[in-house]
Formats: sequence, structure tokens, C-alpha cells
Amino acid sequence: MTAPVQSPRRAFDIGAPILELESISLRFGGVQALTNISFNVLEHEVRAIIGPNGAGKSSMLNVINGVYVPQEGTIAFRGEQVKGMKPTRAARLGIARTFQNIALFRGMSVLDNIMAGRTLQSRAGFLEVALQLPRARREETANREAAEEIIEFLAIEHIRRTPVARLPYGLQKRVELGRALAANPKVLLLDEPMAGMNIEEKQDMCRFILDVNDHYGTTVVLIEHDMGVVMDLSDRVVVLDYGRKIGDGTPDEVRSNQDVINAYLGVAH
Amino acid sequence: MSDFLFFLEVLIGGLLAGSLYALVALGFVLIYKASFVFNFAQSSFVFFAALSLCGFMELGLPMWAAVPVAISLMVVVGMATERLVLRPLVGQSEETLLMATIGLAFVVEGLAQAVWGVEVRTLDLGVGHHPIEWVMDRWGMLINKFDLVAAIVAWILVAVLALVFSRTKVGRGLRAVADDNSAALSIGIPLSHIWMLVWATAGVVALVAGMLWGARNGVQFALVDLALKALPVLIIGGFTSVPGVVVAGLLVGAFESVTEFYIGPLVGGGIDAWTPYALAVVFLMFRAEGLFGEKIIRRV
Repeated sequence: MTAPVQSPRRAFDIGAPILELESISLRFGGVQALTNISFNVLEHEVRAIIGPNGAGKSSMLNVINGVYVPQEGTIAFRGEQVKGMKPTRAARLGIARTFQNIALFRGMSVLDNIMAGRTLQSRAGFLEVALQLPRARREETANREAAEEIIEFLAIEHIRRTPVARLPYGLQKRVELGRALAANPKVLLLDEPMAGMNIEEKQDMCRFILDVNDHYGTTVVLIEHDMGVVMDLSDRVVVLDYGRKIGDGTPDEVRSNQDVINAYLGVAH
Repeated sequence: MSDFLFFLEVLIGGLLAGSLYALVALGFVLIYKASFVFNFAQSSFVFFAALSLCGFMELGLPMWAAVPVAISLMVVVGMATERLVLRPLVGQSEETLLMATIGLAFVVEGLAQAVWGVEVRTLDLGVGHHPIEWVMDRWGMLINKFDLVAAIVAWILVAVLALVFSRTKVGRGLRAVADDNSAALSIGIPLSHIWMLVWATAGVVALVAGMLWGARNGVQFALVDLALKALPVLIIGGFTSVPGVVVAGLLVGAFESVTEFYIGPLVGGGIDAWTPYALAVVFLMFRAEGLFGEKIIRRV
């Protein structure tokens, strides 16, 4: 594996592996979704997972944040093996995510969605909250400040009070990113953050992802179909096809990999 | 006494009773919002809670001690229901969950009577059941003091819960779980805690409702039927709306009381047993999602 390219924009140098996936295999009944996949994610890098439809990209992301538990293989976070990863455990480790089909809390406002993302940043229990004891009030204020910072960062001040169900698709995606960011994540998993967007929205989202990575030093793992986007954004790319890893390296290396070309363009038999 | 004042008296009486319907309905809404279970056993909880409170007092506990014991009991009953009945059924259809709670209702009713016996108890909360004198002197209206106090207690509880569930982190957690389970998990909201919390709260709401109804009408099996008056309230108010059940509770109380007094005598009386359901049927025909419920959009 080659060292990732260091671009001049970086405020955070790429560091040690933050996530290590070792020989991951995942089956659903008789369907083999992932077969013996190993790769790592380095701290502060932008890592893309690409592959044709049905390659197992989303399954991979779901394994990382504990939605699916693989039958074989291990996941290590910062060098420590995590057994039986669960979504709430992943959230506590600092792994946040967005979903392929936006999974916002539709009945709630933009602000409430982002505030909900701060759940793990508050300690006050039910009674403290219900009785509005000092700690609960203090935390609420602190969470509100953090939420406002994210709202400003993503330039969504004007829709703070709008119920998310009423927002256009591109903005909903941005709010979902905001909710994930609210948890101050170490690792951000983005499942097709630009799917279904027009060029302008894609450019905005690209800039936000790079800004997040640059400004907060957040490690980003993203799934994306748009090759141009992937090549521009990512430091390193993993390529999956039919649940197997067929390529891993910098965008340039992956682009010239014959297996990858075959998978994407088809190959004469 | 003028006709208008008589109408007002009937109306106020209805609104006060309606406040208690709203309180019972609130127990259903809390659970339905968080986990899409229509908890048929909620009315059994009301009966069980009131009966247990009387039971503890018969065992010699004074009121001030019996109430916290009963609260703890209902917290435990609520949490145990979540843990033992609903957790194993996670992912099943809404109908399956409903059937489970119907079964649970019979178990809870049976258990309550097996433990505490079947005789009718009176529960004295220390508030007299007599008309408020100055209202009587001034306007000649008979407004029951107990009903007024009970309604105020109900309003306070509803207001507190509405505030907690709309303005705080706990409320956001609850609404988040209601909107999207997997997204809630991904930001670290512990689903099981929220469910337990909601069931415990529903248990306590059942106790308060049971105390108020029990002190008004006697602690007896009929409490179950009274509590089921929450059903038309829920249909009219919408299963997921706290403000909805408050308005619908008042509406149902007022409607049943006014129709009973003005139309009842023409048909031999006692129509308040079914008028709320008739009103609910009208709503089902013309506005099935209720006053404040979420629009039902289903692909067929």
C-alpha cells in the first residue's frame, strides 16, 4: 500500500490507522455480501469505498457502525479490537454516519435534528431533565451553542426552524451531515452523500466534506458513485466488486488498476 | 336558574370529566408515539394502579407512603411490560403487538383481582365531592369541587409531560425514536432506555388517572371501561398528538355531557355510554387521522 498523497490544504496530517478491518465476511442466509475484506482507514484521511451496484459498499459501512455483525473478521478502532460492534457502541466510540436514503427525524425542525445529534454529549438523566436541574440546563445551553456553530458552518441558518420534511432533497442531505457532525465524531461515514444531487448541490457538498475534514480533522469514509467526485475528494480508495476487494490505493493507482477497469467497463470473455 | 347558566354548568361538568379522559389517553399516546404499539392494557394499568394503591392503604400504609410505593410499583410494571412482553416482539407487525397487549390486559386485570380481591373500594383523596359554594351562591351553578381539583391535577400533569417531551433532550430522543429507529441508534440514542422510560411514564400516568377516577367513581372493575373512553379521544385527537388528545378529551367530555342532558331525556337517558364512540365514528368517516394526527398516507 502506498502512502497517501499529502495535499497542501491539510491542517491535520494523516496519522495512524483509526479503523482496521481484517478479513471481514458477511452473509445473509445463503447470500454472500462480503468476502474476506481487509483494509484500513488512517486518521484524518478521506477514504472512499467505490464499486458497481450490489458490490457490498453499504454493507461494508453497516459493518463499520455495527448495524450488521459480520460472521468472520475483526474490527479495530484505534488499535483496539471491538467485539460485536453495535450502532450505539459505534456512536460512543465517535463513529457518526449518514444514510443512503436520508434518515432524518422528519417531524422535527432542523435545529432539533442537530440537537438530537448531541445526545451523547449530555450526561443529565431523565429526572434532571424533567425537573430542569442546573446541569440539565447548562448542558442544553452548551448543546445549543454547538448546534448553532454547525448550522453556521453548513450555512443553513435560514432554515433552522423549518421541519426537515419540508426541505428540498439537497438541503436534507446537508442537515443529515449536520446531525452527524453534532456528535463531534472522530470518523464520519457518508453513504452516497451526493446521490441524486444536481451539479451545484454536489459541489456544495464536496466543499463541506473537505471543510469538515480540514476544519475539524474528521476522518471521512464515503461511498460515492460519481467518479469525478471520488477522485477529487479522496486520499485513498477501496474498490469492491461482488463483495470482494479488487483494488486499494490512491485515486491514480485505482484508476489504472486493470481489475477495476474491468469491473466498471465490463470485460470480454 | 337561567337556561344559559344550566347549559354552562353541563358544559363545565363535561369539560372537567373530559380532562380526565385526556389524561388516560395521554398514556396511550406516549407509548404509541415511541413504539407504534396501541397498548390495549393501558386501561388495565389504570385499574391495577388504583386497586394496588387501595390495597397498600388497607395494609396499613398512610396515603403519603402508599402513593410513592404505588408510583414505584407502576414504574416497575411499565418497565417489565416493555422488557418481558414487547422487547421479544420487536420487529413484529403492529397487529401482533396489539394482540400481545390485549392478552396482557387480561393478565393484569386478573392479577389485580387475584391479589387484592374483587370488592369495590372507596378512595378518599381528602377533597370533598360537593359543589363549590361560592359558585353556587353567585350563579346558582353546581360545579363539583372534586371534579375541578381532579381536572387541575390532570392539566398540570399533561402540561408538564407536554413540556418535557417537546422542549428537552428526553423529548427529542423520544421523537427521534418515533421518526426513525436506525438513525436514532446511529447518533447514540439508546432505544431500550427510551422505551423503558416511556412505559414507566405511562405506568405513572395510569396511576394518577386511576386515583382520580377511583376517588370519583369508586375503585372497581368498571374503571377499565371508563379508561377505554380514551379510545374515542384517541381517534378524534390523533394517536400521536399530545395537544390532540387534550383538545379531543375536552371535546368528548363536553359532547357526552351536553348530549346526555339535552338529548338523553328524549330517549330515556344513559346515552353518554355510547355518544363518544358515535362521535369517533363520525371522525373516522371524515377525518380518519384525527384532529392533529399525522396524515395517513399509505401505498395500496
